[in-house]
Amino acid sequence: MSVGEKEVYTQVEKIEADPKNPQKCTFTYEKVRWDFYQLGTFYVMPKHLEEPVFKKYGAQKEGYEKNSLYVKDPTNPGLYNGPYLVSDIQLGDHVTFVPNPKFNGEAPKIKKIIVKLIPNTGTLEANLRSGTIDLISTLGLALDQALAFDKKIQSEGLPYTVLYQPSAVYEHIDLNLENPILKDIRVRKALVTSVNREDLIKALFEGKQTAAIHSITPKDPWFTDDPNKIVLYKYSKRDAEKLLDEAGWKMGADGYRYKDGKKLSFTIMTTAGNKTRELVQVYLQNQWKQVGIEVIAKNEPARVFFGETTKKRQFDAMAMFAWVSSPENNPKSTFHSRNIASPKNGYSGQNYMGWSNKEVDAALDKLDLELKHEGRVSLIHEVLKAYTDEVPVIPLYYRSDVAVVPKKLKNYRLTGHQFPETNQVEYWTIEQ
Amino acid sequence: MSTYITRRLIQTLVVIGLLSYMCFYLMTLMPGDPVEIMISSNPRITSEDVARLRTLYGLDQPAYVRYVNWVKDFVRGELGYSRTYRVPVSELMGPRLVNTFYLSLVAMIFSLAIAIPLGIYSGLKPGSKFDYIVNFLSFGGISMPSFWLGIVLIIIFAVNLQWLPAGGTQTVGIEGQGFWAEFFDRLKYLILPMLSLSIQQIGRFSRFTRSAMLEAMRNDFIRTAKAKGLSHQIVVWRHGFRNALIPLITIFALSISSLFSGALITETLFAYQGAGRLIYESIMANDFNVAMVSFVISVSMVLIMNLVADICYGVADPRIAYN
Repeated sequence: MSVGEKEVYTQVEKIEADPKNPQKCTFTYEKVRWDFYQLGTFYVMPKHLEEPVFKKYGAQKEGYEKNSLYVKDPTNPGLYNGPYLVSDIQLGDHVTFVPNPKFNGEAPKIKKIIVKLIPNTGTLEANLRSGTIDLISTLGLALDQALAFDKKIQSEGLPYTVLYQPSAVYEHIDLNLENPILKDIRVRKALVTSVNREDLIKALFEGKQTAAIHSITPKDPWFTDDPNKIVLYKYSKRDAEKLLDEAGWKMGADGYRYKDGKKLSFTIMTTAGNKTRELVQVYLQNQWKQVGIEVIAKNEPARVFFGETTKKRQFDAMAMFAWVSSPENNPKSTFHSRNIASPKNGYSGQNYMGWSNKEVDAALDKLDLELKHEGRVSLIHEVLKAYTDEVPVIPLYYRSDVAVVPKKLKNYRLTGHQFPETNQVEYWTIEQ
Repeated sequence: MSTYITRRLIQTLVVIGLLSYMCFYLMTLMPGDPVEIMISSNPRITSEDVARLRTLYGLDQPAYVRYVNWVKDFVRGELGYSRTYRVPVSELMGPRLVNTFYLSLVAMIFSLAIAIPLGIYSGLKPGSKFDYIVNFLSFGGISMPSFWLGIVLIIIFAVNLQWLPAGGTQTVGIEGQGFWAEFFDRLKYLILPMLSLSIQQIGRFSRFTRSAMLEAMRNDFIRTAKAKGLSHQIVVWRHGFRNALIPLITIFALSISSLFSGALITETLFAYQGAGRLIYESIMANDFNVAMVSFVISVSMVLIMNLVADICYGVADPRIAYN
């Protein structure tokens, strides 16, 4: 089967439905797991419709995927058990939803919802203002576009509201720990200390995003900002300069630092064409220049950056990108030394920093087996302590989701986690 | 003539074969594959998952083996399966090609209908006020970036005047409301992208027509025709324009060949469901089957329309013969 995370499916040994109570079914796992409720993309399917397809095509290579009714007959009402049914679908253009009369919950109020794909975000605002669309979902505007539109709403009195919601996206810079200069922890600490993240957020995002302190986002139950549990870095140019001096990097006449005749210089890479990241890059270059570090931007198309550079750890020093996580997610694929991307594992690991810490590896392995919430929190805080102390990554900010909705639309809520705002679509109402 | 056409058709097939392999091979050299794209933002996918998916999609095989398999399927009429949209390529590409064809054809007819008379009149009156104005507008049209023009058109006609939709291909739910209702609805969505495409084309075509006409009208036989006392209309159309047709046929044939390739910027800007955007997305997402079919169509159209242009030269100018 062409599913990504096979483990999600194979971990479940059997599922038993109770014929007396259609709202109850029992999952039996092959191993005892605390994260049994994190089924991700595991959705209930209509047996009476999909089982015959699976029996007929399941043995063929990609047979089921190509012949499922979700592909062949996507408007079949029996395929859906949510508040809405798909009534029309035009690939790459739109999907139309109508209320599901058999939905086992509160009846949806809006009679028709059309989800339209507009590929150019620059024309989204024009589409909204011309009445072609009624709202812009979280997938639409970038934060800078939303901020600009928010100002127009205020100045022109437009009937829209811009919603901002901190999300589960962590923007950061992976440091290549094989870089001889970055092997020195004092240089890494100087890098993080010399970045004024609070000011960055204010200057570029008008305070609508949150400065990051580590990889776990504030809404996650595992989050901590307790200085007794993790190392917090307050912006201090003086401390950064002190650390660099201790590491032997002395300020030269040209405003940059040198050691044994070598300039303190790095390259920072990110996805080309991403305006927000390019702005952040310029901001960071300026901050680091103030403490005598030269940082040169070298950007690549997303496909090259993710397909080759980060995957094979070919970035010289810094790679700026984001991870999207669900709450209470074991970060072993990005932190465990087993997952350092290398030819051995077919470059499939996502520990692009090359970070290796035996205590962290042990804590991450234990985390999967720890059944008590407090125990898991304690283990993850151990990991975060090492993560913030050793600085394999420079945390930047937690991204916010943005959406533009008409003022008359009520009960539209951004979730702030991996599920979209349509999670509770049945409650949306239009006030006349 | 038939020997010439047969020979050219065989050459065309060979060129398509060679170019398609080159394209396939170049795509395999591009960084990342469909599995890379799946894992790029998902930290939960394991190395075992990656290896399993690569084997499943046949991505662990060498490029030539994958190409041979693709050709075998293509010859059998199986165009493959789109990994991005999870539907057969034929199902995906058919409507997109039709949409692109409509847009490109309407834009071309509109452009030619305006550009050819402008170019001819300009060519007949070089240095006149009319010629200066046409030249000025043509250069303006050629120089105008289509993404900028598209946004300006959207702001004027969709946001301010609210006469036309800002984007899309047709109104959702218009199907089944009768032929004319659907026809006029499609037309409404075509106007802005068509204008955006045509303004550049009008500029280009009128410049070509002007220079071809200017060149033709300088010939000795034109002077002879005038001396013979032929009417101005006959001199212009039968002697001047016919001779100006040769370069125009080349331009026209090359433009026709792009009817199915689509216009990426215009389609993206106006959220128009055309092939141009699909081709771009398929290449970026490593959707091999879609990209390869699009490529074969584009190459075939260019080669076939060049052949058609060669045949048309003979029709337009009896001095050109194929033996």
